[in-house]
Amino acid sequence: MRVEYINPFVESAYNVLKEVLNCQVSRGELYLKSTSTPVLGVAALVGLAGDVEGRILFDMSKDTAIKVASVMNGEELKELDDLAKATITELANMITAQAVTKLHDLGFKFDLTPPAIFTGDNMEVTTAEVEALIVPMVIPYGKVEINVAIRERL
Amino acid sequence: MDFPAINDRRPEGLKEDGTPYRVLIVDDSMFVTKQIGQILTSEGFEIAGIASDGQEAIDKYKELYPNVDLVTMDITMPKMDGVTALEKIMEFDKNAKVVMISALGKQDLVKKSLLLGAKNYIVKPLDRKKVLERIVMSLKK
Repeated sequence: MRVEYINPFVESAYNVLKEVLNCQVSRGELYLKSTSTPVLGVAALVGLAGDVEGRILFDMSKDTAIKVASVMNGEELKELDDLAKATITELANMITAQAVTKLHDLGFKFDLTPPAIFTGDNMEVTTAEVEALIVPMVIPYGKVEINVAIRERL
Repeated sequence: MDFPAINDRRPEGLKEDGTPYRVLIVDDSMFVTKQIGQILTSEGFEIAGIASDGQEAIDKYKELYPNVDLVTMDITMPKMDGVTALEKIMEFDKNAKVVMISALGKQDLVKKSLLLGAKNYIVKPLDRKKVLERIVMSLKK
């Protein structure tokens, strides 16, 4: 997978997290996975189809998701309820929209699916034939992993 | 003691006669609806109604009319999108004040909305200042 696909997502995740959470965001080490990747507990998945195809996963622990949703709502949420899920969905929407605008400007044309939220323990995701690039973004509430598996349409 | 005039400022959400502006919020995300609702009520606006897709928006607008001063309209929604709903609302009430709420990267749809009669637009992520500024500007247009 070409690294130019992931950079817009990393930049946009950095900008959006910083803006909506109003906190320090730092970037962890990028790593590549060609096998199954464990899912941390709450994952928002956005699919891409067009000149490039694949998916982006915004992955975090349940605890991080609840804290992030609490900050974004300006009130303490106790559990991952419908409002918390809607909030994480919106976060995924905002990050994706900003990244996709950059990719469109670079000349890649593709459509997106609305985000789907997966929650549960001991989950893993496998993207056969496309390796995933993962960049952890570290925030005071834990980490959000930006997990991108995209390839050019064959 | 006289307080400075700045303390006499009328909240942005109140009309000259002291009654609140009434806003219909249209968005399929519970999070965004709540966020816009909180920003507006904190400035004295009244939330006249909430709709989560374009068709519901039209139905609610007709039901509330003429007791509705402004609509915030999400662009991407299930069943009927915000641009189509805007068009139908403008057909029903050519003086309707609609402000589009857009994700980044939807410039074409925003342009189309402005041509169809939307008064303004706000790009997400939403912040308090931006939301109030654009809405107050649209009410004065």
